[in-house]
Amino acid sequence: MAKNVFEVKTVSYRYQDAAGLDGVSFVVAAGEKVALLGANGAGKSTILKILDGLIFPDKGTVVAFGENLTEPALNDEGFATAFRRRVGFVFQNSDAQLFSPSVWEEIAFGPLHLGLDPAQIRSRVEDTMHILGITHLKERPPYHLSGGEKKKVALASVLAINPAVLLLDEPSAGLDPKTEEFLIRLIGDLSRAGKTVITATQDLGIVPQIASRAIVLGEDHRLSGEGAAVDVLADEELLREANLVHHHAHAHNGTEHFHPHSHVEEHDHH
Amino acid sequence: MHIPDGYISPQTAGGLWALMVPVWYAAGNKVKRTLQARQAPLVAIGAAFAFVIMMFNVPVPGGTSAHAVGGTLVAVVLGPWAAVISVSVALVIQALFFGDGGILAIGANCFNMAFALPVGGYYIYRLVAARSPLGGARRWLGAGIGAYAGVNISAFLTATEIGIQPGLFHTASGTALYSPYGLSQTIPAMMLVHLTAIGFIEFAVTALAVVYLQRGHQELLARGPAAGGGFRIKPFIIGLLLALIFVPLGTIASATAWGEWSPDQIRQRLGFVPNGMSRFAGLWQGIIPHYGAGGNFWSSAPGYLLSTVLGLAAALGLALLIVKLIRMAGRHE
Amino acid sequence: MNNLTSSSSPDSNHRSTSLPAWMRDAGPASGPAWRSGVRSKNSAVQRTIEGLAAALITGVFSEKIASRPGRLQKMDPRAKTVSLLGLLLIAALVRQPLVLLALYAVTLAAARASLVSLRFFIKRVWLFIPIFAGLIVLPSIFNVVKAGDPLITIWNFGHEVRLGPWSLGSSIAITKQGLTGASILILRVAVSVSLTVLLAITTRWSDLLKALRVFFAPRIFILILSMTYRYIFLLLDIAAEMFTARRSRMAGPASAREDRRFAAASMGTLLGKSHALSEEVYAAMISRGYRGEALTLSKFHMRRPDWLLALAAAATGAAAIGADRLLG
Repeated sequence: MAKNVFEVKTVSYRYQDAAGLDGVSFVVAAGEKVALLGANGAGKSTILKILDGLIFPDKGTVVAFGENLTEPALNDEGFATAFRRRVGFVFQNSDAQLFSPSVWEEIAFGPLHLGLDPAQIRSRVEDTMHILGITHLKERPPYHLSGGEKKKVALASVLAINPAVLLLDEPSAGLDPKTEEFLIRLIGDLSRAGKTVITATQDLGIVPQIASRAIVLGEDHRLSGEGAAVDVLADEELLREANLVHHHAHAHNGTEHFHPHSHVEEHDHH
Repeated sequence: MHIPDGYISPQTAGGLWALMVPVWYAAGNKVKRTLQARQAPLVAIGAAFAFVIMMFNVPVPGGTSAHAVGGTLVAVVLGPWAAVISVSVALVIQALFFGDGGILAIGANCFNMAFALPVGGYYIYRLVAARSPLGGARRWLGAGIGAYAGVNISAFLTATEIGIQPGLFHTASGTALYSPYGLSQTIPAMMLVHLTAIGFIEFAVTALAVVYLQRGHQELLARGPAAGGGFRIKPFIIGLLLALIFVPLGTIASATAWGEWSPDQIRQRLGFVPNGMSRFAGLWQGIIPHYGAGGNFWSSAPGYLLSTVLGLAAALGLALLIVKLIRMAGRHE
Repeated sequence: MNNLTSSSSPDSNHRSTSLPAWMRDAGPASGPAWRSGVRSKNSAVQRTIEGLAAALITGVFSEKIASRPGRLQKMDPRAKTVSLLGLLLIAALVRQPLVLLALYAVTLAAARASLVSLRFFIKRVWLFIPIFAGLIVLPSIFNVVKAGDPLITIWNFGHEVRLGPWSLGSSIAITKQGLTGASILILRVAVSVSLTVLLAITTRWSDLLKALRVFFAPRIFILILSMTYRYIFLLLDIAAEMFTARRSRMAGPASAREDRRFAAASMGTLLGKSHALSEEVYAAMISRGYRGEALTLSKFHMRRPDWLLALAAAATGAAAIGADRLLG
């Protein structure tokens, strides 16, 4: 499977009163682990929504699995079902993603609306709850859960569809360290299983573990760089321009010095 | 304004359920056509919004506070038909889950607060606002007047439904089986509060909320009409008139179905109903002379219906007059 | 760098954003007396916060009771909903206070069997809802408000008393009809509310929604109902936060005018947030294959106890109607 999952060509998108994306192009190959980096408002979520066919670019084209991803194409029920079965989107705001009256129904929603048969839906829901360790929450309403539990249910609701491509929007935001570690392992497992994982994040600390390649969006809503994750993380200037790192002062024996700091660098406090 | 179970007879409650079913059906179709797949999240969150704002306490002059209904605001933003569904859903949840308003009375409460209130309020808003700019004064003024009228229409209907109970449903010895107060007590009690206080609260809150939207979220004000379809006043007036006539008629019909009284007895009992109104009869005598010999015309069923229609016509006339004055004022600007 | 000069004090070696001078002051360690002697009234803001919190707690608490292993909790939600709503209709139709009292006893027994604390149950039913029913109905027991046969005469004027055009009669008395009517109304409201509360607290919301399909409620309506309930809690949280923030910024009582302004602004803010939220939820639904058609997986089975409950409810209803006719 050397085929490209997504081919994004000079895509621009404008919100009512602000730019979202400006002439962005990149390609994602099947089975890749890609990190989408950018400061708040750079357009990471916009790209993910475009890749999921939720909004459509004003200019430029998106090709998904070799076919043009357009509004008319997604209005076709056959195409839409096939596409939605292959691409899963975990939203940043779990509250928006969890709208069902119980965890069980939440996880069953995707498979049910994508036409799986009842027996298959039941076994998938059970399995997904098991691997995420949320079986005990099954009857609970999703909205009374903790932040970490909500994120797990949101992940489960997408994983039950068994998509080939996973789009994750700031998955580690607001998670406790234990859940974050769990998430990183899960992404690793999914990637090893051959899934394509595209993660939008500004948490540089998790990038080496969740991505082999990184795409950087600048604050001008344009692509400001891309390459192997380690190379991008080492490119201080690129990261600073994208407002992903900041100067950070450290106090050492009463004297001051500061150096560019991000959460990924290994600090040797001399 | 939520009627609990026990205040109205199952016959009245059932009649209003029957009245609401076609309304829900029509509203559902309209919403489905205009909003398509978006309807579920939009209407649901609109309902959640309607529910939550019904819990806001707004200070009333005199030191106490009241809950705003906010149905007109929902209608201004979502359009009248989506508002019917949203406010209905909010009321169903209040009844089922929080015990606010009865379950059997859901039909009645929805008719008053989820149908008459937002639809009445919305059309008055459209009358005043017409094609004025989204940021203009006529928008918030219209929303406020609509809210005032809407909540009063709703209060009048509630008072009517409760007020016809003792006349229609009591034992042979005169013990009231449901609410004990007649129209002569419920209508003044409800209307006095709503015309003088709660209506103005509704006006103030709705108008201020629209001003707020005009400053930051003008696009939300543009959505309503799109979801509500074209603006036609005629069917609305006809509908409202029919509704006001058929609510009491429906309850009379269901009382017959109950099989307790012959129609003759009902007519007698109905004499009970407008007794309170006979006090105002003198007021009307100059306007409509010689309405029949013998007996008190206003104590008979046709008299009651006529008084309802006249009252409504007067209210609408007043509303139209206000609208006309506002339009004239607008032209001079 | 500018930042360096702004953090020149010896103990602040952290390069923070440049705070204005007035903010770079820890504030008095011990200030003037905090109490000014003016107590703020139980304001509208306060009452709203309390109301919002109460609703939030009700939601969490009900979910807790619904997961207890009680009698009603174990029932098929459809059987339970039909039975309890059937009894609700019976309670609306009967006309004897004694029959209503018996029905009320049945609801208490059902609450007991469902591991609902009677203290909580009675409090929930009587304290919050019918207290209004009681107050409203009170005047109607007097002959001055509603005519009837005097039962207990409170004051005898000995002659007819007139107040303007209205006659107040010659005595003030509690009437037989008034008293019976009032007790019927209060009992009826109590039984109705008890049945509603029983249904609400012994049934998980998700199950109650599915049960509604028995009454031919369209799937899309149930989907909307379920989403509404879910987002009520989110919006309640947001609203509670806004009002709490408002309270924390209030020094002394605000004017009614300001409070009205605040209520309206909160509504506007909440409306904007709700709208943005609905767009996001819509995207999340579409992403998982929703196309405007609501689908459900039913997983209910009527078992023996469910039929027995339905039977018991039917028997209770028949007995109530029978007794009602016999007594009447």
